[in-house]
Amino acid sequence: MANIADIQNEFIREEIEEFIERPEEIERTVGVFAKARPAMQDIAAALIEGENDTVDRLTAAALEDGIEALEIMDDGLIAGMGVVGIKFRENFIFVPEVLACARAMKAGMVHIEPILSASGVEPLGRVIMGTVKGDLHDIGKNLCIMMLRGAGFVVIDLGVDTSADEFIDAIEEHEATLMGMSALLTTTMPNMGKTIEAFIDADLRDDVKIMVGGAPVTQEFADDMGADGYGKDALACVELAKNLLSAEVEA
Amino acid sequence: MDSGSQSVPSMNGRERVMAALRREPVDRTPVCNPTSVATVELMDLVDAPFPEANQQAELMARLAATGYTELGFDCIMPVFTIIQDSSALGCKIQWEQKDNWPTVKMREPIWETPDDIRIPPDFLTHRDTHCVLEAIRILKKEYGNEVAIIGKTMGPWSLGYHCMGVEPFLLMSLDDPGKTKLCLDRMKEATIQFGIAQVEAGADAITLPDHATGDLVSGEYYRRYLRELHIEFAEKIKIPIILHICGKTMDRMEYIAQTGMAAFHYDSKNEPRESVDIMQNRISLVGNINNPETLFAKGPEEVRQEVVKNLDAGVHMVGPECAIPLQTSIENLKEIPLAVRDWTREQAAGN
Repeated sequence: MANIADIQNEFIREEIEEFIERPEEIERTVGVFAKARPAMQDIAAALIEGENDTVDRLTAAALEDGIEALEIMDDGLIAGMGVVGIKFRENFIFVPEVLACARAMKAGMVHIEPILSASGVEPLGRVIMGTVKGDLHDIGKNLCIMMLRGAGFVVIDLGVDTSADEFIDAIEEHEATLMGMSALLTTTMPNMGKTIEAFIDADLRDDVKIMVGGAPVTQEFADDMGADGYGKDALACVELAKNLLSAEVEA
Repeated sequence: MDSGSQSVPSMNGRERVMAALRREPVDRTPVCNPTSVATVELMDLVDAPFPEANQQAELMARLAATGYTELGFDCIMPVFTIIQDSSALGCKIQWEQKDNWPTVKMREPIWETPDDIRIPPDFLTHRDTHCVLEAIRILKKEYGNEVAIIGKTMGPWSLGYHCMGVEPFLLMSLDDPGKTKLCLDRMKEATIQFGIAQVEAGADAITLPDHATGDLVSGEYYRRYLRELHIEFAEKIKIPIILHICGKTMDRMEYIAQTGMAAFHYDSKNEPRESVDIMQNRISLVGNINNPETLFAKGPEEVRQEVVKNLDAGVHMVGPECAIPLQTSIENLKEIPLAVRDWTREQAAGN
C-alpha cells in the first residue's frame, strides 16, 4: 500500500492531510499521487491552487519532455481535480475557487485535447448535457461537463434553455446513451420530468440513461420524475455516469 | 418573540407584519412571503398572467393582491421576479411565458469593468422599474391600511451576477477583491435609488435579495464583501429591510445579524431552531417552508408540519422559503395561514 511519504510534492501531502477525511479517499488519493512522477504532482498542485498560467506552462513543458498526454491528463489534471472536488463537496472551498481550478484545468487541456483526439483513444462514453427549457443557469452543468471530459467522456453540450426535442434530437444524432439535465430554478425543475416524458412518448426512454442535478434538485425529486440517477455535484456526476455506463454494459 | 400572546390586542395584517419586523409582540405570527406568491392558478383567477404581470402596473398589483385576498397572507409583494432592476439597467431579459419566470440573459453581460458601470438616467422611469413603483402606489391606496405592502430592490452582489455574468463576476471576486469591491460600490447606487423610490411610492418594507448563498460562496465572502454594504442599506433605506439569501446561510447568519436589517428571509436548507439560536432575536427570521419538495410536490399536511416546525422554533414570520414554483397549488398555500391560526389557538389553550 502506498504511503503519503511517497508523494514528493509537499503541497499535495499537506492538502491530503488537511482536507481529505474519508479513509477510502485518502487511500485512493495517496495511491494516485504516490505513483505519479514529480512533474505530474507539480501540475496537480498548480491546478489545486487555481494557477492557470503555471498549469499551462508545466503541461507544455511535460509534453516537450516526452511525457504522454494521457499520463498528464490522468496523473496531473484529473488527479488535481479529484482533490478540488473533495474540497468543494466538504465546503472547504466554494464556487469561485472551483471556477479558478476549472480555468487551470482548461489551460492544461488546451495542450492535451488535440493530441488525444488525434490519437484515436476510445472515449468511455458519449454524454448529452444541457440546462432544461426556461433555465439560463449553467455553472453547475459546465463543471460537470469539464469533469466528465476529464474522466474520458465525450460530452455534447447543448447549453442552456434546452427543449425536450433538442435533447431527443441530440441523443439520436450523436448516438449517445447517457444524458444529463440541469436546473437551478424551482419553476424549471418540472421540465426535467416533461423531458423524460417526451423520451417515453418518442419510445426512446429505454435507449438512454438520464441523470439530473442542480441546486434545488434532490434524490427524491429525481426518483419521482423517473430519472436514472441524481448527482449532487460534479464529482458525483462523474461517478454516476460511470456507474450507469457499467450497468448498461452488464445489462 | 411573543408568537401569539392573549395580552396583545387583535391586529390587522399590516400591524402584525410591522410589529414582527420590529420584534415586538404580535397577536399571532404573521404569514409573509417577501419574494413572490404568484402562481399560474392565481394568474388565471384574476386574469393577470406572466410575463405581462411583470410589465404592467395594474396587472402586477392585481396579481400581487391575491396573496392577501385569496391566500390570506399578511403582506402583499408585487415584485415577483428578480429582474426588474436589471432590465432597467440594460440587461437582456428572456421574458418567458405564463408558466415560467423571466430570467436575465447572464451569458450576455452588459458590464466588464468598474468603469463600465453606469446607472442609466432613466433607471426609475424605465418600464420595468416604473411598473413596480406604480403597482406599489395602487396597492398602497387599495390595501395599505390592512396589510403590509412590501417592495423589492436587488443587492449589488445579485446585480453583479446579472450585469457582469455569474462566472466572470465570481472569478473576479477571487482574482481581484479591490476591483470587485469597486464594482459593488458602484452597483449599490441602483439598490439605494430603487429602494428609496419604493419607500416614496408607499412600501412598508423592502426585500433586498443579495444572493451570496452558501451554495456559491463562503460565509467569509459575505463578511468581506457585503456586511458593510448591508449596514449602509439599512441606514439609507429608511423602512425595514428584509434580506433574502437562498440556500445554505448558517455560516453567515452571525454577520447578517450585525447589519441592522429588520429581517432575514431564510431557506429550508437551514434548520429553524438552529437559525433562531444564532440570530438571538437581533434580527427577525422569515421562512422557511420548502418549495420544491413540500409546497410544490406534497400536500397540506406536510405544509402544516413545516409551519409548525417554524412556529415551535420561534421564527417571527412564517412563509415559503423563496419565490414559490408557479405550479404550486392554492390549497397548499392557504394551509399556511390556517396552520398558523390553529397553532396560535392551541398555544393559547395550553396557556
